[in-house]
Amino acid sequence: MRLLNILVIGALILAASFVYKIKFDSTLQAERVAKLRGELRREQSAIAVLRAEWAKLDTPGRIQGLADRHLALQPVKATQFNKLDHLPEKPPAVVPSPNNDPIGAMLAPLQDVTGSVPPPAGRRPQ
Amino acid sequence: MNDPKKRESRWQRVLRSLLYGHNVDRDVKTKARLGLAVVAFVGIFSIIAIRLVMFAATSEGHGGRRSVTQDAVATARPDILDRNGEILATDIKTPSLFAEPRKIIDVDEAIELLTAVLPDLDANEVRERLSSKRGFVWLKREITPRQQQEIHRLGIPGVGFLTENKRVYPNGPVVSHEIGHVNIDNQGIAGIEKWLDGQGLAALHMAGLATDQLQRPVNLAVDLRVQYALRDELIIARDKYKAKASAGIIADVNTGEIVAMVSEPDFDPNNPREATDPNRLNRLTTGVYEMGSTFKALTLAMALDSGRVSLSSSFDARMPLRYGKFEIHDFHAQKRVLSVPEIFTYSSNIGTARMALSLGVDYHKAFLKKLGQLDRLRTELPESADPLVPKHWGELNTVTIAFGHGLSVAPLQAVMGISALVNGGKMIPPTFLKRDQAEAERLAQRVIKPETAEKMRYLMRLNVEKGTATRANVAGYYVGGKTGTSEKVVGGRYSKTKVLTSFTAILPADKPRYLLLIMLDEPQGLPETHGFTTSGWNAVPVGAQVIERVAPLLDVAPRFDLPKADQMLLVSAKETR
Repeated sequence: MRLLNILVIGALILAASFVYKIKFDSTLQAERVAKLRGELRREQSAIAVLRAEWAKLDTPGRIQGLADRHLALQPVKATQFNKLDHLPEKPPAVVPSPNNDPIGAMLAPLQDVTGSVPPPAGRRPQ
Repeated sequence: MNDPKKRESRWQRVLRSLLYGHNVDRDVKTKARLGLAVVAFVGIFSIIAIRLVMFAATSEGHGGRRSVTQDAVATARPDILDRNGEILATDIKTPSLFAEPRKIIDVDEAIELLTAVLPDLDANEVRERLSSKRGFVWLKREITPRQQQEIHRLGIPGVGFLTENKRVYPNGPVVSHEIGHVNIDNQGIAGIEKWLDGQGLAALHMAGLATDQLQRPVNLAVDLRVQYALRDELIIARDKYKAKASAGIIADVNTGEIVAMVSEPDFDPNNPREATDPNRLNRLTTGVYEMGSTFKALTLAMALDSGRVSLSSSFDARMPLRYGKFEIHDFHAQKRVLSVPEIFTYSSNIGTARMALSLGVDYHKAFLKKLGQLDRLRTELPESADPLVPKHWGELNTVTIAFGHGLSVAPLQAVMGISALVNGGKMIPPTFLKRDQAEAERLAQRVIKPETAEKMRYLMRLNVEKGTATRANVAGYYVGGKTGTSEKVVGGRYSKTKVLTSFTAILPADKPRYLLLIMLDEPQGLPETHGFTTSGWNAVPVGAQVIERVAPLLDVAPRFDLPKADQMLLVSAKETR
């Protein structure tokens, strides 16, 4: 019976300390949550302030004032626009393709001889 | 642990000792008393334990509730964005100073300290508030963080801070008439802000639930860049022509969206005191005006749509039209028989009046009703005005209304009507919120035939090529338009010098996407306009400036390969066939 009492007392102490630990942890967690929540709120309001400030700096009136003062740009005239399909055809390539390039063909076998950069294995030098 | 018989006997003994008097065994009595004491203590301690558990369980919830009430003061509003997501209105957090008079120990000292930090605080008013027996009074709303720091350092008991949401409008007066403004409690007073409150936000505030920072932002139809450009040009125009006011609208004719709306002079919503000045009201929705010749577009559309008048019909404009004691003259009198396109380009009062008369008063009235010119136009903006419709609409009224006198409408209303004439004949109620094509189609009502709309486009374009609006012929943009000059009523008579000029332009005229209305109130003649004050000399050049500036922003590509107006109808006739 004494043994039983001791066991029960031991279990009681264990349970109490366990409950205490859980309680302590949960308080800690709750505090962290509250802290994070506060931090979130602070960050959000800081973001709101920054966004408002950005919008203020970005307002067209201010940009126009700055552009007038610092840039030599003029408003775009209608004649300065054009369509993509009004662009002239792409000019023919100035450099002919290497296949019908006689000098390139002569140089190709020599590339190994110069030995500057060896061609990667399995790829013919072009 | 004890066997039941023994326990029973013990209980019996306890009972006996409680029931019996002094002449019982003292030993038994002591034991019984001890037992009673144990029972009592166990009871008390268990109550304490239960209360402890209850406190432990509820303390968290208590803290949470407090933070909610703190937020509820800071009534949040959703951001207002333009169609491209630029911020037009947003909330920022600012501290506000409050006091709890019951907790203040020395009122005089508190006032002295506070006025040292906040010099603009009225000492007498503060004294009155602090001496009251209320639990909570505001001392000053929206103080700076620096002031907050200083007051905090003073350490006055019974004085505290609450963070509140403050509405800021980073673009200042640019979009003022559309978004409106809020009061110090962040409740909408005018414009879209008030409309937002009507959408259930006010109820949320009441319930203290409008605290969520993540409320859905509201996308307006307005394009900030276009709005700014329009406003900039209108300010220049107002100064140049020394007008009392200038106003402009750019509307998408196919969706009814208002892309820009400026009524100059306007106000800064960050400083709502300006907004109450009657000179700064929004002339486009709350003002009603006789739109002058702009209304001829409606009359011609009515005549062409009736089928009884065609583009090749002609009307006698040789003589002024006599009606009772009134005589209707033409401003650009030709003194000959005019064809329908000529009536439009010379802006003939006589011709349009005869045209309306030929269709009759009732037809005219019904047509204007169908186009929404006789009823109050309701949009999201709470500010609106009833049109001034004559009570007894006789033939004389039809004569004058045909060329835009005798019926006063809000300019936004006229914009809606004319949009319907050029967009293919569908009337779409204007909106300040973003709207897509599908929704516009759902709301659209057919008011005239597509062929009539085709003819109206032609007439508008013709008027820019060789009519009253030649100064609006911006190269590359194929503008169409109608001018309007109406004499203002001063002391019950039409004034010769005070006029209201307007210019309605469509862009591009062959397949309109945007409608522009420019309005100048009492422009003055200038040497370069040869002293003229008619629309062609002031509103039209302003319109041309605006078009040149905003067309690239509106994604309207310039084209230089377009036919003259006369070929326009042929082209469209071929296309429809």
